[in-house]
Amino acid sequence: MAKLGEAKANPTKAFFVRTLTKDIALEDCVLDLIDNSIDGAWQQEGGKPVSLSQSADLSKYWIEIEVDQTKFSVRDNCGGITFDDAASYAFTFGKREGEPAERYSIGIYGIGMKRAVFKMGNDISIRSTYETGSKLESFRVPIVVDKWLADELSDQWDFDIDSAPDLDEPGVEIGVTQLNEATAASFGNPAFVQNLRRTISRDYSMHLHRGLSIRVNGTVVSGWNIEMRHSEAFAPIRINYEDALENGIVHVEIIGGMTAPPPDDSDPDTIGDSEYRSGWYVVCNGRIVLAADKTGVSGWGTSNWPKWHPQYAGFMGFVLFSSEQAKLLPLTTTKRSVDVASEVYRRAQPRMREVARRWIAYTNQRKQALITAKQVEAEAKPISVFEIPIRGEVAFPTLVAEPRVPLANISYSVAADRARALAKEFGNINMKNREIGVESFNYAYSQFVGEDQ
Amino acid sequence: MSSSFNIVNYSLRPNKTIQRSLVFEGIRVLLDRLALLDPVYIGFGSVWFTDFLTAHRELEIRDMISIESNDIGFARAAFNTPFKTVRLEHGLSTEVLPKLLTEKSINSRPWIVWLDYDGGLSEVVTKDIQTVIEEGPPNSIILVTFNGSGNWKYGAPKDREKRIRALLGDVVPDDVPKEKWDDESLPTTLASLTVAYMQSVAVAAGRPGGFVPAFKLTYRDTANMTTAGGALPTRGGRSTAAAEIRKSTWAAIVDDPIITPMLTIKEAQALQAALPRGRALTRRTVQRLGFDLEEEQVRAFETYYRFYPTYAQIVT
Repeated sequence: MAKLGEAKANPTKAFFVRTLTKDIALEDCVLDLIDNSIDGAWQQEGGKPVSLSQSADLSKYWIEIEVDQTKFSVRDNCGGITFDDAASYAFTFGKREGEPAERYSIGIYGIGMKRAVFKMGNDISIRSTYETGSKLESFRVPIVVDKWLADELSDQWDFDIDSAPDLDEPGVEIGVTQLNEATAASFGNPAFVQNLRRTISRDYSMHLHRGLSIRVNGTVVSGWNIEMRHSEAFAPIRINYEDALENGIVHVEIIGGMTAPPPDDSDPDTIGDSEYRSGWYVVCNGRIVLAADKTGVSGWGTSNWPKWHPQYAGFMGFVLFSSEQAKLLPLTTTKRSVDVASEVYRRAQPRMREVARRWIAYTNQRKQALITAKQVEAEAKPISVFEIPIRGEVAFPTLVAEPRVPLANISYSVAADRARALAKEFGNINMKNREIGVESFNYAYSQFVGEDQ
Repeated sequence: MSSSFNIVNYSLRPNKTIQRSLVFEGIRVLLDRLALLDPVYIGFGSVWFTDFLTAHRELEIRDMISIESNDIGFARAAFNTPFKTVRLEHGLSTEVLPKLLTEKSINSRPWIVWLDYDGGLSEVVTKDIQTVIEEGPPNSIILVTFNGSGNWKYGAPKDREKRIRALLGDVVPDDVPKEKWDDESLPTTLASLTVAYMQSVAVAAGRPGGFVPAFKLTYRDTANMTTAGGALPTRGGRSTAAAEIRKSTWAAIVDDPIITPMLTIKEAQALQAALPRGRALTRRTVQRLGFDLEEEQVRAFETYYRFYPTYAQIVT
């Protein structure tokens, strides 16, 4: 067969700047930069396995994020990027073969930082200060995206590395100005900033719990206090095992149980915070990559596992994967979901399914014995997820169905502000609509009927 | 529901009058800098039409629409309509505003919408904000005024954060200090959060010029009232509007509540005749004039004396 020529297959700069950036949300870009900082801190601490019981102390590390309509910046004291790493690895698009892997890191694809800053704006500065022996060295990489893109034909992909004054401590400072229009609008949106704080509080709760300080626009973000209920009748499962893959080992830990009592019914009005927090969480090397999942990604609605229903609210499960080699973890490149095809993840699913099935059975049984169930649930006290004892299976109480009287459902609509006004008079402005209805009925009943005989 | 026209004549509320002057001064500057032509004023004129009178006389706004849901109020408003170009719309604002958005004669002209509610922040207020910010014409201005008093339907201080989050959503931070929800701070807390809410609605709706916060005031005559608002400029007008509002001369963002004392005409005139002056007006000065006021009241009067209603305004 004769070769006729060659088809061009090399990537374009515009692909990295304009196309790859479309696949990631702005918030996830900020998280990607936090991941890099945390990886730095983790390496400084010797790159230990990331499990719940691991006692690494991150209290000397901080990350500061500033966002507004005109600029973005993230600064840390997590050790910095060395000149050699910057020259050889940190700015390449994707990991090079043979690149030394950081131990127990979250960053794996070698795309996070570039994609994040490209998504944000045009004028970028990355400055690093690091220790060599006892002295500090620093450099700065300035990138003006439109100029870099205009250089398309020159085949010049590299960025200049300039000298720079030292930062106060070894660390990295990334600044972006000339923000893209959509980025500027989001950074100027108070809801975006509040939600960013909420996501950081949740997704880095394991690191924040170990003392890491993250500030957003000057305000310290405190980590989610993840708790499960524990009593004689309720006991969360906590198991761990090692999954040996062809190229290495992944440590897996599964925790699951009741975080809050389930709702009395599945009326959307009565669903509150506990529904929002319920579901499966997948954690990869300490970072929550899937939160409160109620979809097929964590198994709901697949292979004999029913679809999520509000009745199941109150359930919380964690699957923690950690590995010295981050590439073995079931992460997607945006770190916002799980690679469901990954073997290590698929092998964890039957165990996850068993815990969820036990909870589903409990919530079904509970409907027939609501009074007893509520009493037993009230006895279960919250304990921190970090203190849950090892236990081979989850325990929920066994309930005996209570005799039932025929029930009548009453429903009616009123103006929302009148409902709130009545709720306020009942003593709780935030009362659910359903509770206002029940309270109103009970009040009318006591006035017109009196005590039941 | 009792309406404001059954309670008190607007003109007798000095702090409301001051607030109105500051707001209209802000609107005038924005109209001028953004070169807004042929705007439409939309509000709740009640039977007094006080803001409509100012809009027409001082800003020369021609077309004005007053929304009134109360049947008797509507009949009285029809009788009291001050100018031929004031049109009355009978209905709830949540129904009338979407209807106005479909009217070709006004839906591409700048709107100045000032919804001065009788009640507190509620689902009705947030719905109206959404309607105007999501679909209002470019270069519009939106303001809402509502009762921000703790004794309105916001619940006990400990319940307020949840209630306000139910109304304003994600913009309410998770760590608002407790004291921000007490009766004294509530009106200003609500002002800031409502402005933040407006901003988030504009971003979510992808308004090209976004929302530029421009009005944040609280005042008290009989109740603690909260005013929040801003401009909805075009993409090109955004930086002009933002630059104007950043200037030290911008008077419609006020941190402290406007609480000047209720003065007799004689007292107001005596104080006014002593101003402006090089040194600060003090209680001692007032005493020398022949009467007495709290130090705080003296300071408030000195800050806002240029806007304090005079007898001539009362009779309009």
